[in-house]
Amino acid sequence: MSALLLIVVSAVIGVVVLLTRRWAVVVRALAPAGSGFLALLAGGAMLRTQAPETISWLPSIDLGGLFLPLDLGTSRPLAAISFVVALVSAAVQIYSTWYLRDDERYPVFAATVALFTAAMFLVVHSRDLALTLVGWEVMGWCSYLLIGHWSRKESARRAAHKAFLVTRLADVGFVLGVVGLATSVGSTGYAVVLRLWAEPTVCDAYGCVGPNPVLRNTFLVLIIVGVLGKSAQVPFQDWLPDAMEGPTPASALIHAATMVAAGTVVLAGLYPALAQAEVARWVLGIATSVTMVLAALLAMGQSDLKRLLAWSTVSQVAIMLSALAAAPVILEQQPGEPPAVGVPPGPALAIVPGAALFHLWSHALFKSLLFLAIGLLGVIAGGTTAALLRGAGMRTRLGRSAFLIGLLSLAGVPLVVGGFSKESVIDTAYQGASQGGPGLLVLLALLVTVVLTASYSTRAYLVIAELIDVTAPVEAVGEMSESRRQRRSESLDPDGRGAANAVLVTLAVLTLIGGLALALDLFDLHGLSWVWTLITVLLIGVGAGLAFALGRAGDPGVRFAGRRVALFDGGFGADTAYRALAKPVVHLARIVAFVDTEVIDGYVRGAAVTARLGGAVTERAHRAERLRTGGWLVVLGLVAVLAVGVFAWR
Amino acid sequence: MLLIPLLVGVGLIGAGRIVPTPVAHNVAGIAALITFGLAIGVAIERPSVDRAWLPELGVRSSFAVDGISIPLVLLTALIGVLVVAHARGEVPDGGSAATFLGCLLLVVGGALTTFTARDAILFFLAFELVLIPMWVLITRFGDPHRPPARAEAGWRFVLYTAVGSTLMLVGILLLVASAHSSDLGRLLEVAPSLPRGRQLTIALLLTVGLAVKVPLFPLHTWLPSAHTIAPTAGSVLLAAVLLKMGTYGLVRFPVALVPEGFGIIAPAVAIAAVISILWGGLICLVERDLKRLIAYSSVAHMGFVVLGLATGSEVGLQAALYGNLAHGVISALLFVVVGGLKRRWGSVDLGRAWPALREVAPHRGFLLILGLAAALGLPGLAGFWGEFLVIMSAWAPRRPGLEDLFHVCAVLAAIGGLLAAAYSLRVARLIWVGDEPDTPAPGQSSEENTPLAPDSTPHVLLTRPSGDAAVDVETRGVERVVLLVLALGVIGLGLLPWLAIDIARPAVQLVLGGAP
Repeated sequence: MSALLLIVVSAVIGVVVLLTRRWAVVVRALAPAGSGFLALLAGGAMLRTQAPETISWLPSIDLGGLFLPLDLGTSRPLAAISFVVALVSAAVQIYSTWYLRDDERYPVFAATVALFTAAMFLVVHSRDLALTLVGWEVMGWCSYLLIGHWSRKESARRAAHKAFLVTRLADVGFVLGVVGLATSVGSTGYAVVLRLWAEPTVCDAYGCVGPNPVLRNTFLVLIIVGVLGKSAQVPFQDWLPDAMEGPTPASALIHAATMVAAGTVVLAGLYPALAQAEVARWVLGIATSVTMVLAALLAMGQSDLKRLLAWSTVSQVAIMLSALAAAPVILEQQPGEPPAVGVPPGPALAIVPGAALFHLWSHALFKSLLFLAIGLLGVIAGGTTAALLRGAGMRTRLGRSAFLIGLLSLAGVPLVVGGFSKESVIDTAYQGASQGGPGLLVLLALLVTVVLTASYSTRAYLVIAELIDVTAPVEAVGEMSESRRQRRSESLDPDGRGAANAVLVTLAVLTLIGGLALALDLFDLHGLSWVWTLITVLLIGVGAGLAFALGRAGDPGVRFAGRRVALFDGGFGADTAYRALAKPVVHLARIVAFVDTEVIDGYVRGAAVTARLGGAVTERAHRAERLRTGGWLVVLGLVAVLAVGVFAWR
Repeated sequence: MLLIPLLVGVGLIGAGRIVPTPVAHNVAGIAALITFGLAIGVAIERPSVDRAWLPELGVRSSFAVDGISIPLVLLTALIGVLVVAHARGEVPDGGSAATFLGCLLLVVGGALTTFTARDAILFFLAFELVLIPMWVLITRFGDPHRPPARAEAGWRFVLYTAVGSTLMLVGILLLVASAHSSDLGRLLEVAPSLPRGRQLTIALLLTVGLAVKVPLFPLHTWLPSAHTIAPTAGSVLLAAVLLKMGTYGLVRFPVALVPEGFGIIAPAVAIAAVISILWGGLICLVERDLKRLIAYSSVAHMGFVVLGLATGSEVGLQAALYGNLAHGVISALLFVVVGGLKRRWGSVDLGRAWPALREVAPHRGFLLILGLAAALGLPGLAGFWGEFLVIMSAWAPRRPGLEDLFHVCAVLAAIGGLLAAAYSLRVARLIWVGDEPDTPAPGQSSEENTPLAPDSTPHVLLTRPSGDAAVDVETRGVERVVLLVLALGVIGLGLLPWLAIDIARPAVQLVLGGAP
């Protein structure tokens, strides 16, 4: 039942906060307390949950040919994800009581965060594709609101607009995929959907038994398109860095636990079907491999450290998803024996490769830590560009240590949570590579990414710890900083941030010990391979060394990107490409509007003109008092009547 | 239930200026409330009335409600209360308050009669009854700034829909003549077994006639001008009640009675529906007048509804009915919000800069964004279930041999959903948060547009010398209450979809049971 409670309570907090927005004191007490309570609840649920279970809470909808069970469900990994979501949400709520202290729209922000969290809980626990879609879209909308929170900034408005449209474009695929998967079985419940689609297609000389593989691949590719959009993967990657225009706590929420990670949860839920769809796995594998390397490269060259973190999110989410693409096709499964037949809805999840969800868990911890830490540093420094942040870490030991721990985890150093999870992804990819499929590609991309991640993490630390001089080279940095600075936060008081400090400490500790999830066996993983750990450490060393080497003469990122910093900041021109795509649509719209008024409406007006003309002619004929005209008309009428009579009679 | 609004409406119009305005308001308000109360009673009790009316023609005044009409009856009665209440705060110029209120009540009464009539001829009469008061509302009480446009919109509305009605009348007469009965229950038994050719003719006539009312591409051009000119209450009635009569007619007549004939034209209907969706969505991307924009978005939403009907499956029909209902509430909400804006600002031209509603009128801003979110099909709000289920049904239509066509339709409809997001956000960016003009100069990136110091931005927003844009546009008094009720409706329909679906199920199955 805790799953249901999480969703409902979180949504109720949102509504109550919205209703009590006049009394900021109430909101300030309610939002953090409520979200803290949820975190405890989710924590309890995580430790208690053993076997998967299904919860029927809503009356199901029966539409004749289509059945919507609207069930929820939970299992160990899901409860763990749910806990980390609740945790990050609570951290964000508490942190923003300080960060948004002077914001007159803080209550709305808190309400949106609560609603956002509720939607994520819904996605995590949904056992029904329709409910998943509900949570999925609500998250998109909440992210629109959060990114555009400071709507007096044009850049924030634009970023919110772009984020929503890009993800919504991808969601066309998601909706169609859901529709396709569900209509062919007449139900949107995961259990029923997977019962058909997870069945392997066995072909012999007499034909094929099992679902149509082409359809399965098509539908799953459509879903994957939606996931790529929401998770900011190539080719939808560019909305996420722009989303940095939102307040930093919102970024932490979007990046760490909710929006971008939701795709991993959904695909994990559909994994039994995905495992059977070779093409879909290749699509996912290629997209994520390209993304993780590209995003890591871009992260290296950013002039703004918050955007560096954003690109690192893109790269890390790609790692999560790649674990799903590259995982070995279920080993326990005997050929011809479908995994989901006859089992209740939950157990289908037991065979999900835990690596993806484990990396989600650890990424949620360290990325929220990083964002909240950089929020603090940014307040101290007055902005988040590399130039401004230089040395900011020297002014707050807590901020620096928290940032360092987060970066270590991001780089995947062993024994920190990020290290455990990244190595389990690599391990999974290695096992998958031996089976063919996209495993090998993913493995290579992962190894390259490890090097790059280590070096941009090192760079970030070098900057904030003032171990290098970043102001010296390249004027572009200065230019970008003007537009990207968050001047709002300048007015914030860096002191009196007890709550924020507590949050940072908690998250830092959890980042250090989060690997215990492995010991609790939350994600159904089978240990780690020492060989790969060793290789990873070596690669991290190479990456860090590279950054140090470059950093001897200034910001390694700038050295790396050189004069092309602007290009890196612009995400290699993806934005221009998007705009070029949107332009024809607007042109088409103009043409349509023109056709509508001039052509479609033309015949209407034409009818009116004809009627008026006809009226004028007849009137003229009547006015003419000459007998002859009248006589002719009478004759004509008689003929017509006769003709009708003759034809009708016959 | 039916008599009260009709009689009071006629009475008020007849009394005209004799009745003092407050009395008129009270009388109309009480009448609307009683009607709503009775509508609830009817929805629970489901009584039926059956009397001979014109025995020579076999026409009976027979009324009853079922699962298909109950939600619409409730919606109409509720909207009746709301528009009458709304008129307390805002009676447009053009005549006495009594006339205005009388017309509103007449429209409501006519619509209620339409939804409850169980006789084809009676249905037609009630259908037509609504036209005249609506015409009065548009031509006399419409946009005071543009008298010629008012007359033009009024004429266009009446003539356009009358042409549609004529076709429908021919269809109904043909149907009645062929089946020797005008009772809908009897027709449901007899009509589906008519010969194929006759069914086709009837279906074609009825569908084209009703498509004008819905409206379906390419018969939609009366709607934007009517909506733009009509007073707020008129727009609300148009969107929430009149358009519903079109789809209701489609369900009752072609879909239910001549399924075979409708099956033949279904692909054409589906294509027209999809074109409506895309067409409306695309125009909304560039339309400059906000009221027209919402009107075009209505075209798009009704396209979804008709697409659901065209699939001929139970899912499709349910989805269509749900979408129908949802659109009624959403567009009513949007029209009240935007109508209030237009009255205060004088126009709602998106081509010029307006102050951000979020800043100057948080309440109205919230309702606007709620309406927009619902219009783009956000789950948890009313619009989602209808659209999602329509796409579902289009993917699995009950039209053997036409699956591919409907698959294409489903894909295009999903893209139409994207367009809805695009235009909703466009409006949000222009009115809700933004103050930039519609089309920034080409080659100017948005980053260059904002060198404004953020500290001074709010003042810039509030005191910008833009004349009438500086007036207070926050919702007040009755308008706020009306909007809140509609907003609750939007949220309620979004969160509790099974209510309406369960009510409609038996009736829907009965309707489809007639199909071969």
